[in-house]
Amino acid sequence: MNCRQVEEQLAEYVDGVSKNAASIAAHLDGCANCRASAHAQTVARSVLRAQAAELSPIAPPGLRTRVIAHLDQDLKTSRPQDLLGWTGRLTAFAAAAMVVLTLGAVLLPIATVRSTALLAAQLALDHLKCFTIEGDADGEPIAKEQAEATLKQEFDFSVAVPAPLAAEKLELMAVRRCLYGDGRAAHLMYRLDGEPLSLFIVPGLTRPAAELSLFGHDQVVWTQGDRTYMLVARGGNRNQLSRVASYLRNEAK
Amino acid sequence: MSTKHSEDDGFRAATLEFLDPLYGAALRLTRNADRAQDLVQDTYLKAIRAQRSFAQGTNLKAWLYTILQNTWRNRQRDGARSRVEFDSEAVERSAEAVGRLRPSGYGEPGSQRFETPESLLMRDTLNADLQAAIDGLAAAFREVVWLRDVDELTYQEIADVLDIPIGTVMSRLSRGRKQLYEALVKRA
Repeated sequence: MNCRQVEEQLAEYVDGVSKNAASIAAHLDGCANCRASAHAQTVARSVLRAQAAELSPIAPPGLRTRVIAHLDQDLKTSRPQDLLGWTGRLTAFAAAAMVVLTLGAVLLPIATVRSTALLAAQLALDHLKCFTIEGDADGEPIAKEQAEATLKQEFDFSVAVPAPLAAEKLELMAVRRCLYGDGRAAHLMYRLDGEPLSLFIVPGLTRPAAELSLFGHDQVVWTQGDRTYMLVARGGNRNQLSRVASYLRNEAK
Repeated sequence: MSTKHSEDDGFRAATLEFLDPLYGAALRLTRNADRAQDLVQDTYLKAIRAQRSFAQGTNLKAWLYTILQNTWRNRQRDGARSRVEFDSEAVERSAEAVGRLRPSGYGEPGSQRFETPESLLMRDTLNADLQAAIDGLAAAFREVVWLRDVDELTYQEIADVLDIPIGTVMSRLSRGRKQLYEALVKRA
């Protein structure tokens, strides 16, 4: 399959309903552009699915009553009514604004993004996707040695995985390969006081130390050797996150 | 007689379960709370009058969405005479042409950014960012992505609701999701 054919079928593939999943997967293995596209679509869908309930608006309190009253009225009179009070026109302003607000369809080359903020945003979205959708961290806590062995055997990553820390109620839940950066990054999934916390380790990338706050989450970034580390947790407790960050920084050497 | 009456009541109650999502869809189309309520009210009237045409066992929510979309399209057509022609295909074409013209002041006071009641009520930053990214999508993409990823309609149901071919559903879905991801990342 070529890129165009794959692109046409990528939505079905991302939704898990593709009949050509095997050939598409084979193409993705060898094509960074299509892989980036699949990743972006997967993350977008995951985040929407996770937030669907909160995103859905609630009708104003009076609307139900108004609709019911209207239906009752219609039942009584039982004759066609002209209900089109509003003409439904789009003003020139609305039309212009909708066009201006539109984004181009150019996808960022994910693996070569330079900005720390972009990296933080992408990993924060990956954090949400893995914890909320795939439920990778829903099981029992695991030991540091088990996590290191998994990363070595399955992904050939040599990573010192920071051990759980009882004093901060930090538990190690799972490790997986992250789709970020061509799948070379490690994703260590913890729970801090029961809440999801991610430590991403991205090899071959150096970023200056930084603290950020994106998507309602806090991020702490640092570099050791040729690896960038990024801690992601729900915002709110900066002090605790700083303590955990310095603990992880020491342990992950 | 009384049996028919209770059947009708049951149908009406079933449709009212979808008041919130229908209001949301109306809000996305009209971008105005008053007009959204008008559209929802009108949709219910048509739905109840046409309830015999609903095929049992199919998706009631998708059926209601279809009526809402048709009602909206009719209103636009009625109101569009002697105005600039404005359809979703045109939006898609211009999306590519003006993709890079997005103002840097996006989201700031005075910029051409719509605040919907939804986005004003958002409880946390993630949802505020996500809502803004959704609002920033072209209408044609936004609706397909929403119907699929928030409402979980099938491709065929989406094609029926929006009256577009299923291939168009898939391509808009791909592009809409990618744009959403890009918009989220860019908001950083």
